[in-house]
Amino acid sequence: MASDNYNIYEPLRATLEEVIEESTLIKTFVLIPDEEFVFKTGQFIELAVDGVGEAPFTPSSSPLVSDRLEVTVMKTGYVTGIMHELKPGAVMGIRGPYGRGYPVSEFRGKEVLILGGGCGLAPIRSLLFTLEHMKDELEKVILCYGSKTPADCIYKPLFTRLNSIDKFEAYRTVDVTDDDWDGPVGVATALLDQVKVNIENSVAVVCGPPIMMKFGTIRLLEMGYRDEQIYLSMEKNMSCGLGKCGHCMMGEFFVCKDGPVFTYREIKHNPEIWK
Amino acid sequence: MYYISITKEDWHRSLEKLLTSHDIFVPVKDEFSLDYEPFRLSQAENIAYNTPKPATPLKNFFLPVRENVTSVMSNGRQRIIIGAPNCDIEALKLLDEIYLDEAFTDPFYRNRRKSTLLVSSDCFSVNDHCHCTSYGVKPYTTEGADIALLSEGDYLFLRIISDKGEELIRQLSSAAGVNDPERLRFADQRHSETEALLAELNRGLPDYRATGEIVRKAGDNVWVKYASKCVSCGACTTICPTCSCFLLIDKPGFEKVKQMDACQYPGFERVAGGEDALFELPHRFRNRYMCKYVWRPQKFNSLACTGCGRCIEACLGRISKNELFMELT
Ligand SMILES: Cc1cc2nc3c(=O)[nH]c(=O)nc-3n(C[C@H](O)[C@H](O)[C@H](O)COP(=O)(O)OP(=O)(O)OC[C@H]3O[C@@H](n4cnc5c(N)ncnc54)[C@H](O)[C@@H]3O)c2cc1C
Ligand code: FES
Repeated sequence: MASDNYNIYEPLRATLEEVIEESTLIKTFVLIPDEEFVFKTGQFIELAVDGVGEAPFTPSSSPLVSDRLEVTVMKTGYVTGIMHELKPGAVMGIRGPYGRGYPVSEFRGKEVLILGGGCGLAPIRSLLFTLEHMKDELEKVILCYGSKTPADCIYKPLFTRLNSIDKFEAYRTVDVTDDDWDGPVGVATALLDQVKVNIENSVAVVCGPPIMMKFGTIRLLEMGYRDEQIYLSMEKNMSCGLGKCGHCMMGEFFVCKDGPVFTYREIKHNPEIWK
Repeated sequence: MYYISITKEDWHRSLEKLLTSHDIFVPVKDEFSLDYEPFRLSQAENIAYNTPKPATPLKNFFLPVRENVTSVMSNGRQRIIIGAPNCDIEALKLLDEIYLDEAFTDPFYRNRRKSTLLVSSDCFSVNDHCHCTSYGVKPYTTEGADIALLSEGDYLFLRIISDKGEELIRQLSSAAGVNDPERLRFADQRHSETEALLAELNRGLPDYRATGEIVRKAGDNVWVKYASKCVSCGACTTICPTCSCFLLIDKPGFEKVKQMDACQYPGFERVAGGEDALFELPHRFRNRYMCKYVWRPQKFNSLACTGCGRCIEACLGRISKNELFMELT
């Protein structure tokens, strides 16, 4: 990296191999990078549509695979809208990986409670692959996930699979039900009431829309989690991903470089975090 | 650090010779303003040494308003920039921390820094809003530039600060060492005169360490009041020697254009779904103060405001940050 010719702004090319439709608004893009691409779970990339723009995404695939990358994208605006039109064969640009990922080595010997909502399941899936790989070193992994409607829930087969893995438990809820749904109804944080965790020997990971991050954290604190046991994945406007452009400032932190994963303890002094 | 002296005539002739291998910029004064211009021997009499301060902040030489950052990197011609005041030299320290950060060095910035020799200019007078000394910055340079320059009559005295500066001096055949300390007495005198003027001008202005607490404690009413005259034009950030935020814009062929940007423009922090923490103008206005006096000082070792006062001069709404600080002190 220190080479004089290394250009931090230059994207790596990646060919779109497959587009998987997860829900009406969410698609997973399977990418084959021109070169081996190594990342840690929780780190993110800047994914570019040629000539259109780029946006930050956390890969949803396993960090153990370096010749293939999956990114799950919710259509929310300009760049993601055009991304959703792309067909296999398209060439995209990747910069990164950026930021600190989840400090999974610190999870050894512990119970991991994961609270996810909406498209937050994308980064969580990558984390789950990692945790599955190291499951012998973990006590337990519990996933509590909420989506708006049953149709908005992505990676449905994942839940069945997780529940079949020793030490793994996965729970789902929806805000609004439909005819085919016979599971719980309510916000994801409500699922926390039914899980059994040994809080003393546990860490909690929260990833989802801002409102869930806030109320999820409050609930975890009420349950007895300490500030340093809660890992939050913060979302901010981003441009460079390099700790330079200033767009992602959250108090003194550049979320892109100092985060996007923070413990609540690291950032709680800052009233800006829930904005 | 030591001094050499050279007549202005010889200095300008030497610069003329250096033009074959260097781009050289000097501070030139006309009836309206003082700003950097490419050096030309025929215009030498219009060069304003030791006069605060070029309208353009020094950062513009290193961070162009717009540049293609996926283009082939050229090392460019060597440059000599003459006349930067110490507030601007001090400001480069923060830019260096950000752009030369080891994890992600910006190669364009690094190449420009490497190929540039900085001749700063001690300030022998002050502008209306200069307040460097309130923030612990001297009105003359002893580090961060390669050479500092003082003009006295027909002579220039050059304070040699770095090895790079010394190398340049070796190329000036007519430069002579200054052995008689008496000849340098004027320098100390000039420095203390400027410092006295600044102290007088900024009596009561809180120092840099105090600013953070003041900004943090300021109530919404303060931001609403001062922001009521703000039109989000971003002049304060454009002209600020330490503001360096930007936006990457994609162009066909996976090219990226890096364009200077600012938290004062609407939408700077807007995220998907339309949430925007800085949507309200008073929040945007406050953000700049929080950044300069609270957050950057927490994160970096260099000053995020060096007291140049350009933001006060540039403001369309005539908002003075110094007035704000005085009101809250
Ligand atoms: C660390 C991180 C990880 C993320 N991971 C995921 C993930 O795994 N999956 C997922 O679906 N989402 C993820 N997101 C959210 C995702 O980045 C946004 O949904 C995406 O940026 C929306 O882009 P858009 O252009 O479609 O939306 P818009 O609402 O159109 O734009 C969003 C922002 O980008 C700016 N912008 C857009 N286009 C331009 C342009 N041409 N010029 C200038 N500014 C422009 C807008 O001003 C706005 O601030 C993540 C975000 C972060 C910060
Ligand atoms: S995205 Fe540019 S500094 Fe973080």
